[in-house]
Amino acid sequence: MSRRRVVALWRRLVQELRRDHRSMALLFVAPVVLTGLLAFVLREQQPATVDAVIVNQDAGQAGAKVATSLASGIEADGGSATSGDSEAVAEAALVDGSASVVVVIPADFSTALAGGGQPTLTVITLGLEASADGSQVAGVQKALAGALASALPSGGARIPTISHGTIYGSGESDLVDNLAPVYLGFFAYFFVYILTGVSFLRERVGGTLERLLATPVARGEIVLGYSLGFGLFATLQCAVLLGWTLLDLQVPAIGPLPAFSFGLAVPVAGSPLLAYLVVLLLALGAVSLGILLSTFARTELQVIQFIPLVIVPQALLAGVLFPVSSLPAILQPISAILPLTYAVNGLREVIIAGADLSTRALQVDLLVLAGFAVLFAALAGLTIRREIA
Amino acid sequence: MAAVDATMDPAIRAVDLRKTFGAIHAVDGITFELQAGRIYGLLGPNGSGKTTLIRLLTGLARPSGGEAWVLGVRMPSRANLARVGYMTQSDGIYAELTSRENARFFGALYGVTDAAAADEALAVVDLADRRDDLSGQLSGGLRRRLSLACALVHRPPVLFLDEPTVGVDPALRVQFWEHFRRLAAGGTTIVVSSHVMDEADRCDELLFMRDGKVIARGSGAELRARAGTTDLEQAFLRFSGDAGTIPAQTGTAAS
Repeated sequence: MSRRRVVALWRRLVQELRRDHRSMALLFVAPVVLTGLLAFVLREQQPATVDAVIVNQDAGQAGAKVATSLASGIEADGGSATSGDSEAVAEAALVDGSASVVVVIPADFSTALAGGGQPTLTVITLGLEASADGSQVAGVQKALAGALASALPSGGARIPTISHGTIYGSGESDLVDNLAPVYLGFFAYFFVYILTGVSFLRERVGGTLERLLATPVARGEIVLGYSLGFGLFATLQCAVLLGWTLLDLQVPAIGPLPAFSFGLAVPVAGSPLLAYLVVLLLALGAVSLGILLSTFARTELQVIQFIPLVIVPQALLAGVLFPVSSLPAILQPISAILPLTYAVNGLREVIIAGADLSTRALQVDLLVLAGFAVLFAALAGLTIRREIA
Repeated sequence: MAAVDATMDPAIRAVDLRKTFGAIHAVDGITFELQAGRIYGLLGPNGSGKTTLIRLLTGLARPSGGEAWVLGVRMPSRANLARVGYMTQSDGIYAELTSRENARFFGALYGVTDAAAADEALAVVDLADRRDDLSGQLSGGLRRRLSLACALVHRPPVLFLDEPTVGVDPALRVQFWEHFRRLAAGGTTIVVSSHVMDEADRCDELLFMRDGKVIARGSGAELRARAGTTDLEQAFLRFSGDAGTIPAQTGTAAS
């Protein structure tokens, strides 16, 4: 063990890194910025606005009392509450977006309460985003706690339990079911970006791009060729991932092996082909983004370095982890310009809500994604200059 | 956009060609005409502007001033690149493709429809028996050969070779030059850049470059005679002494 050699290695690394300003920035600035963003998103979360439709099916006094005080409780928290004639009408309001939650007071509410039993309130949400739904339920619960204290005689009365139902998805959909639309989009975006970014960088660094541009090839032809090439792999990846997500293969016990199921068995309400279209449009955008960003990188390491800068904020802001509606107000416009936002929305609509091509929201998502793909392709084409030096 | 030169006479023409990068004049007002079917050697030290000049002539770089014409078409012209072959200083081949796949790929980009063209180009550089080897596994010299084949696959009438023989062993170097000579005899105009003086005598004509300027032009013998030395390297240093003043007659010498 020679101290001189160890010190020489140490010094070389310091010298190298010190000159790589981007790595230095990444090392010190990126964690601060990203945790700052995370803290901002978490701490400044918009409290969910509860726009409730209360459907009182109870003819008794207790139901009416709870309905009124629940409504005033929700309004006191900054939300709105209207009373609905029937569950069906209320759910329609939920679907068209004019309400965010439906509270149903069941017909047996008063009798259950009088009989000393524990009545149940049903809270219905849309079911597209588990976290957004959770905050709606929490909002109702908070208002309900206050409402019960004033509406019901203290002592003796049991606090009603809340049963949570959703319009879309099965009642027992778990976290994986909810995450499926998100990760389908995220993986496609992420890996296609890395693949294209690195391989286009190799063209730039390895001298093949110089040579490519010395042929009559047009920039648009290069971008299109890349899109087709990596589009193929994005297509295959998406097919494998989608298949794995939807697959529910029950393997019976064989010999000493216990029975097990293969695949994630996520229920899909809409057409898998439509989900596929969303992912493909997103992936095509990612191809061009990879080409675009490879312009700003000199080494493969630097392509990887873009991940925290390009991918992580998307995870925070595109409704992947937190619902867009809960983001601090000044970040919400940012999420509107992220392709992943539209992909995640579109995938949720297809997989959970069973949207088809006639669904307006899905049409918007598809159009915006196609727009991003075209925009990135145009920008990528502009960065491929014949003049590279 | 490509204007067509009515005379169509010289294969390559530079008119007061300039390229600046900030304060650096990489190519500093070069004017010349190169005739078809001849081999021209661009000679000069590293950084004298050889590669930049080639990039201007191939249209890979846009001139800061002046004009570059190839086969009567003003560069940059994308369409005209189909008639130009360019062997870059780095190999510029795809390591994960076989030799044949590389040649076919570049052939396709150049618009070659003849399926045999790639194999012919490989045969020309003596790579026929290695055509199914991954090019990343070839030795340095074989990769240079493949790189040359990729520049030849569309049989261009004008060929730019940027330091083609760097890293090539003497035996192969002889083969390369024999091949260049055959191409020139067939009418191909070849521009070879090099900083190796001993290769220079194989060219029909030499252009000494220094600081972005052509400081002398003529055949090896002429330049030696004018410099009053028997050694090209000495001749180069002699001309470097009064850089920028090229005797008028050398512009059209030995054609």
